[in-house]
Amino acid sequence: MIEFKHVNKWFGKLHVLDDVNLEIDKGEVLVICGPSGSGKSTLIRCINRLEPIQEGEIVVDGVPVHDKATNLTKLRADIGFVFQQFHLYPHMTVLQNVMLAPVNVRKIPSDKAEEIAREKLIQVGLTDKAGAYPAQLSGGQQQRVAIARGLAMSPKIMLFDEPTSALDPEMIGEVLDVMVNLVSEGMTMCVVTHEMGFARKVADRVLFMDMGKIVETGKPDEFFDNPQTHRAADFISKILTH
Amino acid sequence: MMAFYFSRLVEIFPFFLKGLWMTSQIAFISLATCTVLGFVLGILRSGKNKLIRWIIGVYVSFVRGTPFVVQVFIVFFILPEWGIQLKAFQAALLAMAIMGSAFICEIVAGGINAIPKGQWEAGTASGLSLVQQLRLVIVPQAMKVILPPLVGQYVLLIKDTSVVSVIGVMELTRVGWVTVVRIPEGLMVFSLVGILYFVISYPLILLSNYLERRMAV
Amino acid sequence: MLADFNFRIIFEYLPLFLEGLRSTFFISIVSIFLALITGIIACACRISPFKLLKYPAIAYIEIIRSTPLLVQIYFLYFGLPTLGVRVPEIQTGIIALMLNSGAYIAEIIRAGITSVDDGQIEAGVSSGLNYLQRMRFIILPQAIGATVPPLLGQSIVLVKDSALLSLISVMELTRVGQTMTSERFMPAEAFFTVAFFYMCIYFCLKALADWSQKKLIFREAY
Repeated sequence: MIEFKHVNKWFGKLHVLDDVNLEIDKGEVLVICGPSGSGKSTLIRCINRLEPIQEGEIVVDGVPVHDKATNLTKLRADIGFVFQQFHLYPHMTVLQNVMLAPVNVRKIPSDKAEEIAREKLIQVGLTDKAGAYPAQLSGGQQQRVAIARGLAMSPKIMLFDEPTSALDPEMIGEVLDVMVNLVSEGMTMCVVTHEMGFARKVADRVLFMDMGKIVETGKPDEFFDNPQTHRAADFISKILTH
Repeated sequence: MMAFYFSRLVEIFPFFLKGLWMTSQIAFISLATCTVLGFVLGILRSGKNKLIRWIIGVYVSFVRGTPFVVQVFIVFFILPEWGIQLKAFQAALLAMAIMGSAFICEIVAGGINAIPKGQWEAGTASGLSLVQQLRLVIVPQAMKVILPPLVGQYVLLIKDTSVVSVIGVMELTRVGWVTVVRIPEGLMVFSLVGILYFVISYPLILLSNYLERRMAV
Repeated sequence: MLADFNFRIIFEYLPLFLEGLRSTFFISIVSIFLALITGIIACACRISPFKLLKYPAIAYIEIIRSTPLLVQIYFLYFGLPTLGVRVPEIQTGIIALMLNSGAYIAEIIRAGITSVDDGQIEAGVSSGLNYLQRMRFIILPQAIGATVPPLLGQSIVLVKDSALLSLISVMELTRVGQTMTSERFMPAEAFFTVAFFYMCIYFCLKALADWSQKKLIFREAY
């Protein structure tokens, strides 16, 4: 479904992605972790070309992402992206946030789009907030709206960039629950997160990055209980102790 | 014909330099006065005394609510009626001081009010006097907020000195006005005037942009 | 001094003052409208990637901002006739106010657009919205909210700036004060009345600006 072939990327002199090779299958749930600055966010931002790459190739569902001829609108419409800081549109209601792209990108008539949007809001457990503005919601609720906004496009893939890092501890659970439900529906997902509980429960594979390189990959239980490299072991001990 | 006027203009260029010198004098003196007065008024305006705050508020509203040229007329025409005789140059400086310090007062008060209350409390807790709190804790932090708009205000004040030409002060704009009667090439004369203003105000605009970028971080 | 204040003469001149007030209103409204159009065009050029549009826009904005309005007014007033353009003073004045405020408005709009968080743009990009759709649905609605209060502030400046048109004999509020001063030599009555009318306009616009500041600014909530 997603394939990285010898991908290299630099920010100025900084080598943020260092010869990344990776394959993600349809229906697979991949958790990416690593210290800050390791390139994990950059990695998933390359998948829908929020970031350009300098070398190599990324292919999503048979489409070369960084090819000039690629229809980016189509590609991005098929990939849902959830940001750490939610980035809901503050001047629109929850319902308008969720409907915007279906109506304007997918060209779905607005009554049909509203139906879909309400359905997705039910799916994330926010039935009574359709008319509210983002500023009136808690962080956890905002992030769930952001997930519904992604789902309303019926994406083939969902990408999550640290979806719970900006949340107060008591709100993390409600967002993770929604994500776990998504997994059970068979969605292909890449999740940048340090939530070990989530990774152990639903991830098919955990990928550990450091300094732009994929250092280690493995089944979640194997990775967390028996890391193969020093750097991974060091990282796990740090996230365990806090 | 244009070439002829151009050479005339070159001939009387020293006249323009005199105007520039006068503009610089007015600008420099009033900038200094306005800064001092503006800081004093701004600190008082952000203080606790309600009466003082109200009086300064009325003064600031009057200055912000009326055109500078009207203020210049008021100072120049009305004060003599009340027995205060002023030369045009003095009236110009007085009008500039009244106007400029009101705007700077607002900038300073805004900067001081932007400092969280906890900073005052921390100062009080460590036994600093009110003046020490202001001088050592509050104003140094507030300068970050104050400086970019302050320099921006300086640019506006320099440009506003052109208005005092209406009461006959021989500064740059007045020189242009007098010249254009003899050399009827309006575009040429006032381009020259414009360039001379540009020379003094553009560096300050750049400084203001730079400070805004730096202080934003 | 207040005891000498001659209210009778103010009443005598009241029709003239109201005429001046009407003229100041007219000049301000027309100028702010034209300046808004100028500002939008200048801003569009300023942020466009085409050098042929961008650099002239920068030059225009910087020249206007670093020279006094009065010099710009005289430039047009004494300059247009040498180009063979003869228009009434009031039109010269409106053009000057339009060009002057237009440059400031261009910068206000630009600041409004850049104030929209990058994440908003990324969110739009991620769901496949194109540039025009992002501008229309995401950036402009938020930028306009952030732009209205400073635009009202600029309107206040423009109303006061229009007083300078009195110096090229446009019959507006300040000019009425000058006329009354030269006819009757009662400058206190004349200019305090003028100031009073300007204050009324100022307080109305200020209240509107403060209200819009509270109402229209959208903040991304975290």
